[in-house]
Amino acid sequence: MAKKSINMVKYIIRRILVMIPMLFAVLTITFFLSHAMAINPLQSKMTGWDINIYYDEMERLGLNEPIYVQYLFYLRDFFTGNWGESYSGQFQGWLVNDILITVLPRTLELMIIPIIITPIIAVKLGATSAKNRKKRKDVLIRSIAVVGAGFPSFWIAIILRFFFGRVLYEATFFEFDLEIYNSNSVTLNPSFPDIIPTTLDVFGLVLFLFLMIGGFYLIYRGNKLRKRKQTQKWKYLLFLLLSGALVCIGALVCILGIVPIIMYINTYGTKFRLIDSIIFNEPIYFWDTLAHLLLPSISMTFISLAGITRLTRSSMLEVLEQDYIRTARAKGVPEKEIINNHALRNALIPTSNLIIGGVASALIGSLFIERIFGYSGYGGVFFTAIINGNIPLINGCVMVATIILLSSNLITDVLYTIIDPRIIYT
Amino acid sequence: MIKTEEEIALNTKIKDKPGILSLLKFYLIPGWRVPEFNEQEYEIEKIRSKRRFFRHLLTLLTIIGSLVILSFIFMGIFTPWLTKFPVQDLVPPSIPGIPYELPSPQHPLGTTNNGYDVLARMLWGTRTSLFMAVIPTGIAVGGGLVLGVISAYFGGKVDYVFMRGVDLIYSIPTLVIVLILTQTFGLNMMDILIIYGCFAIAGNLRFMRSLVLQIREMLYVKAAKTGGALKFKVMFSHIFPNALPPMILTFFGQMAITMLGIAAIAFLGLTTSQIPNWGQDIAWGNIYEDNVLAFLIPGICTALFAIAALLIGDGLRDAIDPRLKI
Repeated sequence: MAKKSINMVKYIIRRILVMIPMLFAVLTITFFLSHAMAINPLQSKMTGWDINIYYDEMERLGLNEPIYVQYLFYLRDFFTGNWGESYSGQFQGWLVNDILITVLPRTLELMIIPIIITPIIAVKLGATSAKNRKKRKDVLIRSIAVVGAGFPSFWIAIILRFFFGRVLYEATFFEFDLEIYNSNSVTLNPSFPDIIPTTLDVFGLVLFLFLMIGGFYLIYRGNKLRKRKQTQKWKYLLFLLLSGALVCIGALVCILGIVPIIMYINTYGTKFRLIDSIIFNEPIYFWDTLAHLLLPSISMTFISLAGITRLTRSSMLEVLEQDYIRTARAKGVPEKEIINNHALRNALIPTSNLIIGGVASALIGSLFIERIFGYSGYGGVFFTAIINGNIPLINGCVMVATIILLSSNLITDVLYTIIDPRIIYT
Repeated sequence: MIKTEEEIALNTKIKDKPGILSLLKFYLIPGWRVPEFNEQEYEIEKIRSKRRFFRHLLTLLTIIGSLVILSFIFMGIFTPWLTKFPVQDLVPPSIPGIPYELPSPQHPLGTTNNGYDVLARMLWGTRTSLFMAVIPTGIAVGGGLVLGVISAYFGGKVDYVFMRGVDLIYSIPTLVIVLILTQTFGLNMMDILIIYGCFAIAGNLRFMRSLVLQIREMLYVKAAKTGGALKFKVMFSHIFPNALPPMILTFFGQMAITMLGIAAIAFLGLTTSQIPNWGQDIAWGNIYEDNVLAFLIPGICTALFAIAALLIGDGLRDAIDPRLKI
């Protein structure tokens, strides 16, 4: 067991090291692609400008330099934590880091519900459909899956908005008019801290988070050490002492990690509005945020629901015909246990790839769904950046998406070993 | 392999087997076998397997799917006969009437932005959608076939380069790169289709590579190699035909996905508005909701097309190889 876990840690470190050249390549490609865009980056804000102001601005942003010089400067700035300045749009003049820190939590909040709920519903649907093959339930679920795969997600979002925004409103004779739906969250003025943390702060937060997790891990190891069986008494005492020391050190490290995190949250907030409104005690704001999250989340669950259901069904059907399932049935294992323990775990191996792929599709889906519901998150900011030719913001957004994609791929590969212990990476 | 009738007759004479009359059983009674008649049975098995394939293929859902696709193709070809509106009356510079008008005898499904007829735009958009579905998928599947065979068969450095390229494309969200490239190449529809197809090669390349790696270990490939066949010959006349059917199966499934992807790009307004296009119809229709049909109809059409393609793909998979996971 211990040997294997060391292998896993080594594997993860190696994968992270492989990620670095990949990120570098993506950075290079997006840099040159975004500079090849046929839009003047200052186009949207230079109406009524004197030509000299225009030249000064170009000089200030470094757009007059040759492209390779710009590239080298950008690389230097990128690795020192300054991702450039937004040229135009809603966040004109902000640093890209600040924009991403304020905007990403909002989209993650939107994504987290679909990412958790979609696989649960889809796997459940696929399993039930495979269990009652060629019965009424199966036909129903399959038809829902095919229809769900066919309809574009943005169209479903429009239909939802149309239904709740207009049909319900008119059908109830204009009485479906809760106060919470009308109140615009901007006017509520919550008592959150409005300061944006610097990059160093966020880096420190991540460091302390790791410290905290390390502390918990130490406590866990210490506990395990105590439970080890010993024949000699002195050895038993030694291990007891060792485990006590480990637990103490772990608790200390944990507190050392937690205190700065609490300080960070008190000064900056987490930027996740749901969590913030609980921490800073704003019940109205909490319900308002939840109400605004509801429809976008529902329409986001539809994006990858159908695909996962179809794949789960087909792999489940294949697994159910295997010999070990027949053996389990012959042994007299209850049907529920066969489906949940014997079959589903084997059927999930090909599906887990798609489940994590749902993260990527949700990130891209936010481009459309945030536009439809007027939700200013990652997707909305990214889309306006592409329209306006806002080069640093485009690069920053693509880099964030790439980091999320690569790390989710890594998580899938690690998850494979948990789902299927036969898979061992060397 | 297949011998002429004389040879077969000669064979039967030598082995002293039952005559032609007793063969009637074979034709009339299903399941009747004469194991000695190898050549003839081989021929009949061939026909029977074809018949079995068609029997599996002709399920209700597959028929419905192919009928829907055929009707869309019919609509795409005969659009000018089906509507009285020319394309010039349906694209931005012209403003023919009142926008978002409710259905009337002149406009059976009402009007959308700038007073364009919804039905006419739907019919003209069929052509665009057919192109949207077929061209990128064709590029993706074709490119994946050729590059996958090359990558898997040569191995070594070539394989390494191809696989790193695939990893690179997999690590960037494709749609995002296409959106950035639309700003580079302009909003021309054909450019977007080709770019999208080129990016979709990656997935097919990986799938094809895994197929070829399996087939490469087969005995007949080794036999061809020991026989001294050229690399090119082994690649494209021994491996390629055997890896073809699973790849072709993926065509219809990918058709649906590409169509939805490009409809999404059109919905964001990043394709040209000079061509009637369902994605753009949805974008126009959802702004004012006076005429609900303005966004309902194009959405339903998109979904019907995609669902039909998916159904055909599923039917083909069930007929050829039910164990394949696509």
